[in-house]
This record gives sequence, structure tokens and C-alpha cells, in this order.
Amino acid sequence: MATATRVELRRLAQEAAALAGVVRGSLGPRGGQVLLTRPTGELLLSRDGRRVLEALNVGSPTARMMIACISTHCNLTGDGAKTFIILLSALLQGLENLMERDGAPFCKNVRGREKHKEKCYGLKQVSRFLTVIQTCILDYIMTQDLEKHFLSIFSAYDTDINRCTMESVLEAYFCGKVASNWQKLLSQLSCDFYYKAIAGENASEVLHLVDECFVELHRTVTGLPVSSSRILEGLVLQRDFAVYCPSVGDKRVLIVTEPIHTALSDLGVEVVITAECQYQVSELWITKRTEAVIRHMQHNNIKVLLSSVKQEEVVHYCAKNCGISIVECLSLEEISLICRITGISPFRPSQDSIHTGIAEAAVAKFCQPLRLGAKGYVHIGLSGTDAFQPHSIILCGAVHGVTEQHACAFHGAFKMLRQMFVAVECCEPLSESQDLLNTQQGSAAQQQFVEEPTNCENIPAHGKQLILCEVETEKRSLVSTAVGAKELAGSHTHLNNSSCITMPCADLEPNTVCSLLNESEKYIVDLQKLPPEYKHPGKTGVDENEPSDDNQCIHITVEEGTCSRHALVQLPDSKDSFTGPSHGPSIKDGRNNKSCAQSNAIYSIKAGALVPVGGIFEILLHYYLSSYAKQCQSTSTSVLCSLIADVLLSVPKTLCRTQKRNAFAQLYLEVTGALRSKQQLLLTNQKSLESVSCKYQLVASVLQCAAKLLNIDLIVGIKRLPQKNVESDSEGDL
Amino acid sequence: MSRVDVKKPSLCTSEPLSQETVSRALSAFSKIVKSCYGPTGRLKQLHNGTGGYVQTTSQSSALLNGLSVTHPLLKLLTASVQNHISRFSDGGLFTAILCCSLLERFQDLKVASCMCVKISQHLLSSCTDYLTSEACGCRIPVDFNSSKILLDLVRSVLTSKRTCMLSRKEADHVSILILKAFLLTVPQNVGTSVRLGKCLYVPMKDKSVMDSRVYAGLLIETPEFDLTRMLPAKRTASSPIKMALFSVSLSGDFCNPGEGAVVVHHGVSLEAAVLDQLLGLGQRMVKDGVGLVICQKVVHPALKQYLKANQVVVIERVGVVMMEPLKEMTGSQPIPSLQCLSRACYGNLKDLQIEYFASKRFLHLIPDDPAVCSLMLCSRNETAWDELKLVCQAAEHVLQLTVKDPWVLLGGGCTETHLSSYIRHKSHKMPSSTLENLGCSQTEFQLVADCFCHSLETLARCLEHDGGEILTDTTWGHFWSVPPDVPYNSTWSDFALKCGCGLCGSDQDLSWRALHRPSRPFPPQSCVSESSITSADNLVLDSFAAKCNGLQAAVETACLLFGLSYVVEDQN
Repeated sequence: MATATRVELRRLAQEAAALAGVVRGSLGPRGGQVLLTRPTGELLLSRDGRRVLEALNVGSPTARMMIACISTHCNLTGDGAKTFIILLSALLQGLENLMERDGAPFCKNVRGREKHKEKCYGLKQVSRFLTVIQTCILDYIMTQDLEKHFLSIFSAYDTDINRCTMESVLEAYFCGKVASNWQKLLSQLSCDFYYKAIAGENASEVLHLVDECFVELHRTVTGLPVSSSRILEGLVLQRDFAVYCPSVGDKRVLIVTEPIHTALSDLGVEVVITAECQYQVSELWITKRTEAVIRHMQHNNIKVLLSSVKQEEVVHYCAKNCGISIVECLSLEEISLICRITGISPFRPSQDSIHTGIAEAAVAKFCQPLRLGAKGYVHIGLSGTDAFQPHSIILCGAVHGVTEQHACAFHGAFKMLRQMFVAVECCEPLSESQDLLNTQQGSAAQQQFVEEPTNCENIPAHGKQLILCEVETEKRSLVSTAVGAKELAGSHTHLNNSSCITMPCADLEPNTVCSLLNESEKYIVDLQKLPPEYKHPGKTGVDENEPSDDNQCIHITVEEGTCSRHALVQLPDSKDSFTGPSHGPSIKDGRNNKSCAQSNAIYSIKAGALVPVGGIFEILLHYYLSSYAKQCQSTSTSVLCSLIADVLLSVPKTLCRTQKRNAFAQLYLEVTGALRSKQQLLLTNQKSLESVSCKYQLVASVLQCAAKLLNIDLIVGIKRLPQKNVESDSEGDL
Repeated sequence: MSRVDVKKPSLCTSEPLSQETVSRALSAFSKIVKSCYGPTGRLKQLHNGTGGYVQTTSQSSALLNGLSVTHPLLKLLTASVQNHISRFSDGGLFTAILCCSLLERFQDLKVASCMCVKISQHLLSSCTDYLTSEACGCRIPVDFNSSKILLDLVRSVLTSKRTCMLSRKEADHVSILILKAFLLTVPQNVGTSVRLGKCLYVPMKDKSVMDSRVYAGLLIETPEFDLTRMLPAKRTASSPIKMALFSVSLSGDFCNPGEGAVVVHHGVSLEAAVLDQLLGLGQRMVKDGVGLVICQKVVHPALKQYLKANQVVVIERVGVVMMEPLKEMTGSQPIPSLQCLSRACYGNLKDLQIEYFASKRFLHLIPDDPAVCSLMLCSRNETAWDELKLVCQAAEHVLQLTVKDPWVLLGGGCTETHLSSYIRHKSHKMPSSTLENLGCSQTEFQLVADCFCHSLETLARCLEHDGGEILTDTTWGHFWSVPPDVPYNSTWSDFALKCGCGLCGSDQDLSWRALHRPSRPFPPQSCVSESSITSADNLVLDSFAAKCNGLQAAVETACLLFGLSYVVEDQN
């Protein structure tokens, strides 16, 4: 009998909070380490949130889902698990408080039905809004408002990568991953590795290779101090020499993947022996054949033989006589890496003729035994043919747990770099998302304008609009200029409307701080004056959702205020809300804006964009999101935006927790102050930087995860494994 | 169908160090290791309580292998010490004690853990910088032209392990043997790559330690009774003995048929074919004048008989361990198959002799270039033999490490006290730029530095187990011990005659202080000079590499454990 449990938002919030509680202690540069034990008795150290959370073996399916989301995110970016769960927990907590106190905007139309259904519907609505916010508003703010604060890894004028910047990015990364005494050392090492390994322009290809073949590119040594970790030129192969013949100068290297010495019989072959001498002769022939193959290699000046299989002792004997070194039992991954670096393919003695010359041989500068700790390795200096210059990382540590942790962190660092060099293309072309918001808000405003609407009627209409728009965007992406044109025309009319009214609006308020600043901005200023806690949330330690609540009420009053004054003022407001107050005095004509947006259809975050660490990104995003929320017409979007904006602050708050008491308040005021006075945000005291695209991915993933979680209403317990969808065999039969 | 088990949720503990069970386990462990330390350390008996084998030891490697620790924190600590031992063979107890006492003291500090970690890392690097610098006052360069320092080093390693129960004379004898064996493994002809040879230990459990001997070459135990008849008779003394080394089995079995099917017609005997080949092989070897045949595996009786009849000595089943030294020593190449015997494979031996020991007979293979040697270790007691072998291996390893880093450190606690005085002096007034870099205040730094110095001094104090007083002088910062029953108001200089390492005497005008009392920081001076080394005999010395690494491992592990905020235990 299957059992079903209802998913409650409160439960989700509690689970996320518990998970966040575990990793909170290891967040940031001052965080502590976590010791993990495996069922095998293995001890692992970690500050990696993903690893810790996965090791918890939590039972609850929803908590498992959260962790699965984190794993997916980390696979992509190699970083951000701790921030993820802290954000998610704060978001769920915020949503719970919101629904508890005032779920009205999301579930008005199901009034009269059962309470549970109402709740469920509300959650679903919230989930949908979250998706919209993630795809439209977040992308928009990222590319429009935040972009001017980004620094870049590239130097100002060319595409060279600034080494100093690179170091600070890596240092920031390692601050979250390893013990505080090794952050400097490891970031230096990884930076060295980056510059040594990447020779050409094609950095992303090399990063891809390093990410994929990291296991083959690093070796760990236990029992030595961490400070003896280093970068070695060339590859360090897992095995020791089976046969070692020292020689000087460049060496030709051959790869084999099959035994050179064949046995008397082979699989599927039957050998018939009719006389004793026949057996003796065939044995002799096999040995001679092996000898001939090795001699052939010698004639082709082969000095090193890399084999993926174990070779017979006869082969060792012959190779020793011919001065050929043999390394055997190499893993297939190592062989494929070598093939990839050198661009050669394995030599097959059974098929390739031994009478023609061997063309496919790599050249190694050196090939010598290397002793690391107790184990012997082969150190081979292959010269790469592509952009990658082979280098290996030797990581030392007192115990296996430490070297393992450092290896993981190192691997993650290259994942992070890989992600950093990817330009993030926003999910939809901006013009469309703008359209979506435009129509959505425009219509909402129109409704208000036309028939003095009540909120409850506004919302379902809004919801419908949303779906419509989504369909529309899909259609558009299928390429249909006609539709685009039509829509353009459609919105044109009411944008025209709005631009007509802009002037009177500005005239109406001649006493604003800057005459061209629009109304809403003034309200923001007012708003920030109104609730005193809002300015110093860290200091007063108010509940996280309180400011959001305040926002909400203030917002409503703002709306009411404008409504009562003159309904017409509504329209310019709604238009400005997506141009953003930060654009300042230059309020663009709606049409201009639109055509401009369409001309470069895809907005993206540039590759290598960076922000200072320590929660600056979160505060920036908070600032722009909350100012967006204040202008947003739709109550539900606005409520959610301001909620998300406040949730974002939980990250800098947690980071500042270990510092002085009012560190967060100071940081917050510093950043927002700079923003408000329109200064270029330059925090000189923050040396470390982090990748914007990773941060963006993180916020997007959190929203997606939350949206996913809110869509579930029942957990059904079943007694057997869920059946995987097996493809029917009918196709195969045909 | 695979069985699916429900995974148990993990156990998550926060702030593990502050838990009582952990601190109790930690202090128990620290008591055990502390009481074992040094030449007067107490012995420990390890047994399982159900009548198993009882092991008596005071060596860290044996002790840690025997102890079963359950708490993950302690597991991490012991793993770290064991890794250190596997790399350096010496200084295991040093590492364990330093790590424990650092941890104990860190816990009492009111300094944030990450700050503590940062400062101790800084102190550690200033320690290693000092130890590797020219100005270091507790380091002696090794002169390979004289055996004095090397011999003192080996003796210090031997005497620090009490379980071997060596008298002074025995310790001297074994030290000389170990040094001799080590020198034999150094190859005479150095080619492109220098590789030390191997020293093999031959157990001899019913003779006294003084009967131990070292042989150049290999000793192979043989069950044959009439050995004299075995030896090649017609041989002039100058000519070397030609030998063949087989890695392939000469048993005459048909082997390696491959993965497919082999069909053998009626009347065809493959065994006979192989035996035919074997005898052919034997004939060729006799014709080539081979005097000794060694096979890793079994030799067919018929072949054995044939070779014996032709005055060829046959040794079979030597095992894979012996193959490498045999190959190296004789220059022969192991023959991998019956088909590829050639003259190039043969190696040479200088001589072959028979040695009798107690009830055992050995064939002694004497090579031209003795890169391989055999150390026959005798001891009357089984446990003592095991311990002695471990100690000899450790001493051998220490000598090898000394070749790499030609330095030794002062032993007997002097390095610890000297280093502690140095750090005290250095941290007394830190430049503000360093403090700024670390992001800490002078008081925080001072607190951690005091902890660090105290822990080093704890190590020195652990050398004394009989309740005596430990002093340190204010000139060199060396270690002096005073017997326990000294009257309170007597002058210390009457009792402290020699410092711990034996380099300094008390004839100079020295001022002393008790080690555990606070004092004014002073810059410790170096007492290492050519004359002081030559004049002092029986110095107590420590391996430079092992101690440096032990220091680093201990501080790193202590920092690691102190920085833990959670333990997540998988309960599956």
C-alpha cells in the first residue's frame, strides 16, 4: 500500500534551514572544516558544501531533491553549494512567512474552496512567478543594471588575461574550499598551473581538457607537508617502469593497447598439435615474432613503450636488450589523454605491418622514474601538439583526507574558470522578455485605468496574460517576423500612449530632486526613509522577512497614492519600471528602447566578467531587484521580487557573521550609498574577485529549484524501485 | 535484481573538539605516547585479551598499528602520524606528542580558530626557515669523511627504542653493523642515475646480539646436507663463476596455452616436448660453462640431476623478492622463456661459499660490486628481534635520508628547547606589517606563540619520566636534566653536567631556569663548531629530515583538527 504525504511549505523551509545550518559554519574565508567518514572507514575533509550535504544521507525526499539540485549546479560551476542552500533556505522561509501572513495575491480566485486547495494553488502560482522572474527580470537586471559594475578578467584593451586578476579570482575560490592556512598556497599553485599549461589562445578548450582529465593530471602524496605541493612539467603516469633503459636526448614514444607477445592459441581459435616438434617450433616462432616486433621498434628509434595491458616477460626481455623502456598497465583514461595530447593513435603489432616505418610516434623530452612518497611513477615530458602544455600537479598532505580535499578544490577551481570564460546568454532575447513585462504591466495598468479594478480580479487576468505571453515567445522563437511585427505594432500603440503622457507627468512634479527623475524613484527615496530598520537590518537584527513586508505595504500605499491622484500617472510609471531608475535622467522613448533591444537580439553577460567577493554581488542585485519591485505594477511580481531581494541579503549577512558586530550594516550602507550617489562602485579593500556568470547561475538555479519544489504537492511512498521507462522493443524488431 | 538497502542517515556532530568523549580519548592517547618517548620511555604491552600474541613495544610504528582508535578525530591524528612514519621511519612519537599538546593548549585559548591556525602556520614557517637557514644553532653538517656523526646518529636511533634491550656494548656493535651495511649498499660505480642497493635481513633467533654480522652479497638458506660436494670443484680462484638466472619456471609443465582451445593428437606428449627443451637448455648451459643456476620457481628433478652431475650448483624457489637483488648484484638478466637463452643473459659471481650458523646452512653469494648486503641479526628473544629489525630498518632509512639532506639535528631535547627559545625571542616583538598581514593583534599572536613554545617544551619534558627537573640555559637554550632527589637549595650546576645532546658541558658560566617557568625571552646562540663536535663523544643526534617533517606534520594536523567545525559520520 502506497503512502502519501502532503508537502507543506513549512516542512520544506525547515528542511532547507537544517541543511543550511550544517554548511553555514564553513561558509566564507573564515569558515571551519568538516570531517566526513565513509562507511569504508575512509576519512575525508571538506569545506565543499556539496560534499558535506551529500554525505548527510538525508532521508526526506524533498531534502534529497534539494541536494540533487545543488549537485547539478555544482557539476556545472564547481562552486556555490553553500550559498545555494543558504539562499534556498532563506527563500523558502520568506515564502512561508509570506503565505502565512498574506497569501492573498496568489490565491484569491479560489476563494470558497477548501483551504488546502487554496494553499496549493497559491504555491503553484508562486512557483510560476518565480520562473518568470528568473527568466525575465533576473536576466534583464543582470544585463542592464548590474553590468556596469562588472570588472573583467581581461585587460582593458586586449584579450590578454590579467594575471593579477586571475590570482584574485582563484584566491577567492580557494577561500571557500580549503583550510585558511592553505588558501594562498593553493591559489598560487593553480594560477601557476593555468599559465604553464595553457600556451595558446584557446583557453576554454584547455580548461575543458583539464576538467575532464583532472584525475590523470594530478598525483597525491601523503605524509609530506602541504607546502611541498608543486607543479611538474610533463605527465606523471600512475605506474612505474616495467623495464627502464636510461637514455639521453629526445625519445620517440609508442602506445600499444594489446599484448605484443601472442599466446599459442587465441580466443575462438583452435590449435591442433600433431607432433611434439610442431609445438616446439610454434613456440619458437612466437618468440621470434615478438623479438622481430621489438627489433622493428628499435629500428624506428622507439625508446619508450606505453602499454595499457600487461606485457609478457619475454617482451620485457627483448625490450631490455633493445634499449626500450616499457610502462605497462596504464589506465585507459591515461592512454586516451596521451593520445589526445600528442595526437597519435596506438600501434597494433598484430595488424600493422612491421616492415613499413612507424609514423605515429610521439616525442618526449624526457622519460624518467619519479619517486613520490613510497610509490614510483613515470615522469614523461610529452610535448603537446595543441594548446595544452602537459603539466602535472603534485599535491602533498599529512593525510589522505587533506590531499583529497585539495585535489577536489583544484578540480573545482578549473570548473569554475571554465564557467567563467563562458558568456552567459540570457534565456530569451531581451526584447521579448521586455515585451512580456510590458504587456503584462501595461494591461494591468490599463485595467486599473479603465475600470477601477480590485486586486483580486487583476491577478487572474495577469496570470492568463503570462501564459499567453509565454506562448507568444515560443512562437516567436520559431522565427516569425510577422508575429514580431504585429506585436510590435500592438505594443506600439500603447507605448505611444505612454510616451505622450511622459511629459505632463514630468511637468506635474517639478520639485523632484532631479527634474527628470521619475516619480517612482522619488518614492524609493521616501521608502528608504520610512522604515528605520530597513537601513540597518544587520544592526537591529530584525527578522529577514520584515523588511520585505514593509516593502510590500509601502508599495501598496504608493500604488494607492498614485491611483488616487490621477490614474494617468500610472502609465509612465510602468514604463519606467523596466527602463530602470538607474538609467537616470536619460529616459528613453519606449520605441527607441524597443528597437534598440531588438537590434541586438541576445543580451549576454560577457565572458570573464567579475565582481568583488564578500556578498557585493548579492547586495547589488538586492538593490536593483528591490527598486524594480517598487515600480512593478503587478503586486505579486513586486512582492516576490522584493522577497527575493531580501533573501539575497542573507548571504552577506552570513559572511559578516564572524566579523565585527555591525560589519554587515557597514558593508550594506557603503554599497547602496555608492549606488545611490551614482558613483562607480570600487571597493578597493576587497582584493578577491569572483565570476559573475557563476553567481548568476547560482541565483537562477536557486529560483528554479524553489519553483520545482513548490510544484510538488504529494509525496507517494512506494515499496519498490520506480520503473524506468524502457523503450519498447518494437522498433528494434522492425 | 539488486538488493536495495535503506541508507541510514549520517550522524552530524558540531564542534567535535569540545566534546567530552573526544577530549578524554585525546588525553588518554596523549598519555600513552608521552610515556613511551625517549630512551627512558616506558614499554607498552599490546594484547587482545583472549590469549593472542603479546607485543611489547615503545615504538610509535608498532604502537599505532596495534592501537585501534574509533573516533574519527583520533583516526585522523594517528593516520597522519603513520603516514609520517611510512615516509621517514623516525620521529613518530615526536609528531604525535607535539600534535596532542598543541591541540590541548589551543583548546584553552580564547582565540578564534581560524586566527589560531593562521598564526601557528606562520610560526611553523619561521621554524622551518630557521632550521634550514645557515644561522641555525641546532643543526650540524654531516661530514661523510668520518663515521663519527653517522655512528652517533644510528646509535641515537637505537637507544631511543628501549624494547630492544640493548646494552651499551651491544648498541655500539649493532650501530657499526648498520653503518657498514649501509655503506655496502652505496654502489661503487656511479652511472647516470645513482640508486642505493638493498640490505636484506636474515633472522637468527637463538644467538646473542653480539653474534650479528654483516655480509657483502646474499645469503641464501639451503636445505641440502652435503654442501661441499655441491660446490663447483674445478675452478681457479681468480676466474668468476658464470651464473644463469631464470624467472620462468623450469618445472617442465606445459603452460600459457592462451585463451583458445588446444587440441593434442593421441600419442603426442607436450610434457615430454617441454622436458626435451629443458634438457637441451641444460646441455647448452653446461657447454657455456655456467657454474650456478638460480630459478625463481621450481626446477624439474631431471634437469636438476643433470646439472648436478655436471658440477653446476642449482638453487630453486628463491622467490620474487630475491630476484631484484640477484639481478643487480650479478648483472645477469632473468630469462623469461625457454626459447631465449643467450650468452648475454649470464651474470658473474666472484665467489660462492658456505656458511654455517647454529643449525642453519647458507650459500653465500659474493659479488664483484657489492651493492647488496645481508645483515644477519641475532637476538635471543622473539619480540626483541622484531623490535630490533624495525629499529635497524628505521636507522637505515634515516641514513638514506641523511644522504639527501646532509644535516643532523641535536637530539636529547636540545633542538626543542633551542627552537622554543628562538620562537619566544622572535615573537616577543613582531613587526606590525606581519601582524597586519595575518590580521591579528600582538596579544593574539603572543598567546598562540606561547602555546607553540609550551608544546615544544612539553616534548622536551616528556624525555624525563622519573620526576627529575628539566632546566634550560639562557645562552644556548639547551636541555639539561637534574635528578629527582636534588635538595631544593643546592646549585644546579653541580648536578647538570652535560646537556641533552652532549655537545655542551656545564663548566661555563651558565644561568639556568626551570623549563616550565616563564622567563624573559633571549636570542639562543649556536654552540655548534668544528672543535665542539670533535671533542664531544657520544653525541645524541636526530635525523634532520624526519624531525623537520614531523614538526610540520604535527602542526598541520593540529591546525586541521582544531579547524574542524563538524564531523559527519556515515553510519552505514
